[in-house]
Amino acid sequence: MIVQFYNVSKTYPNGVKALNDVSFKLDQGEFVFLMGPSGAGKSTVIKLMLREEIPTRGQIFIESRSVVRMQKKEIPFFRRSMGVVFQDFKLLENKTVSENIAFAMRVVGAGNQEIRQRVPQVIKMVGLDGKNDRFPSQLSGGEQQRVGIARAIVNRPLILIADEPTGNLDIDTSMGIMELLYDINRAGTTVIMATHARELVKDSYKRVITLDQGRIISDNEAAIGDAI
Amino acid sequence: MFKNFGYFIREAGTSLSRNRLLSIATISTIAICIFILGVALLLTLNANRFIDQLESDLEIMVFVDQELDEDETADLGDLLESTPGVQSVEFIPRDKALEGLEDKFRSEKYTLRDTVGKDNPLPDSFSVKAEQPHEVVKIAQEIEKMPGVYKVNYGKEMVERLFSVTKLVRIISMVLILLLAFAAVFLIATTIRLAVFSRRKEIYLMKLVGATDWFIRWPFFLEGIILGLVGSLIAIGLLVLAYGSLLQNIQNAIFFIPLIEDSKMLTGVYLSLLGTGAVLGVAGTWFSLNRFLDV
Ligand SMILES: Nc1ncnc2c1ncn2[C@@H]1O[C@H](COP(=O)(O)OP(=O)(O)O)[C@@H](O)[C@H]1O
Ligand SMILES: [Mg+2]
Repeated sequence: MIVQFYNVSKTYPNGVKALNDVSFKLDQGEFVFLMGPSGAGKSTVIKLMLREEIPTRGQIFIESRSVVRMQKKEIPFFRRSMGVVFQDFKLLENKTVSENIAFAMRVVGAGNQEIRQRVPQVIKMVGLDGKNDRFPSQLSGGEQQRVGIARAIVNRPLILIADEPTGNLDIDTSMGIMELLYDINRAGTTVIMATHARELVKDSYKRVITLDQGRIISDNEAAIGDAI
Repeated sequence: MFKNFGYFIREAGTSLSRNRLLSIATISTIAICIFILGVALLLTLNANRFIDQLESDLEIMVFVDQELDEDETADLGDLLESTPGVQSVEFIPRDKALEGLEDKFRSEKYTLRDTVGKDNPLPDSFSVKAEQPHEVVKIAQEIEKMPGVYKVNYGKEMVERLFSVTKLVRIISMVLILLLAFAAVFLIATTIRLAVFSRRKEIYLMKLVGATDWFIRWPFFLEGIILGLVGSLIAIGLLVLAYGSLLQNIQNAIFFIPLIEDSKMLTGVYLSLLGTGAVLGVAGTWFSLNRFLDV
């Protein structure tokens, strides 16, 4: 078990109850969709995993470490086991593709040689070969998200977390991004992807945890097990 | 830290040039603050040394009435010597007094004797030293009443005036420096706040990727330190130029005030000013990061 949520509730300081008694477990190497309409609590689940927020009630374990009891100074090192992809890409506009990806390595203290070696590898992996020196503004939306994904995986995280990664993209481009995420999952990385786009999830034969108003209303974990 | 030093410096540099106008304003304020601090420091050091020197040979010069003959002058000397509180009395004949003056003007091209000719205008005099410096006034007043005394001089008044002047300089410059230091720290804090604000996306990403607090903080501290150092370097440059030309041009005119030329001491002054600039930079950054950077 790489991710464990036990009876997790989250109430924001303004009184909004974003999650209500949520429990689920993810196995290493799984690909799981976090489905649900806007406001269902998907991003809250992700923020709790990253320890951007702490739960009001319940326990969360990532790689068997309690996220709730974690000390402040442990947080940066804990986060290095995860890569994050955002709906709005969050690329640094004044940095090239290479620099955006190198940035993620640099801030965790990677050396220059390591960076020079690894960055082109990842750029190739996400299908942006030859665009190393472009700036984000010189790329299409889909290409920008590929940079975002490259940045998320460059440090070889155990878990890739994507919050509506296709939310700003058309359906064809989205399918391309999905293929990339499946590839990354096949290579061994656990992937958790939040989305409200039913059409992406429908024929995927992947596990889908559906949230609504802060509660899990369905989890086809068993069904997937049957299909396999 | 050392592995990433180049990266930190680049980040700080980019950020500084991005908010160029504010950076310049901040650096100027620091420079003015450090400059005034430096002027006050040099002034105080010189004044203190001057006072020390004056005090160590605080003496009462007793000028003898020109009418007195040698015997009467000697009698006066005895009288001075027997005055209570007097430590020593030295007779300075008028010829020697002139030589003494000549020594002081040694660097001049012409000799004093050329100017005054054969007619030595100086009177005979006694140099009287008191056992206790604070008794100087009392003793001097007593001597003034003695017959055959033409004039009594002692540096006390001057020393006291110098004391009060340096005290005033110290207070005024303290107030100015405090105000300016506040302004400098405030401006540095504002600059850093803007830097944090313009890089909030970067900071957020750094946090999510797993950068440590200090990795995130370092570039901002460097930025603050650079602001402080550049500001104080400008101030020190101005001080070196100003004090250097003061030494060159004015030293001769006010030969009686021995300006500090000791390069070791001056280097110490300049280095501590540089340090002060860096400290201001760190202080401003500290305030700003504690308020605006939630890592
Ligand atoms: N920082 C926050 N402060 C207050 N309320 C929040 C905050 N973040 C999310 N919420 C609220 O919590 C609920 C769930 O939000 P979120 O987890 O973002 O849902 P989703 O990602 O599924 O759209 C929403 O009602 C949202 O308004
Ligand atoms: Mg969301």
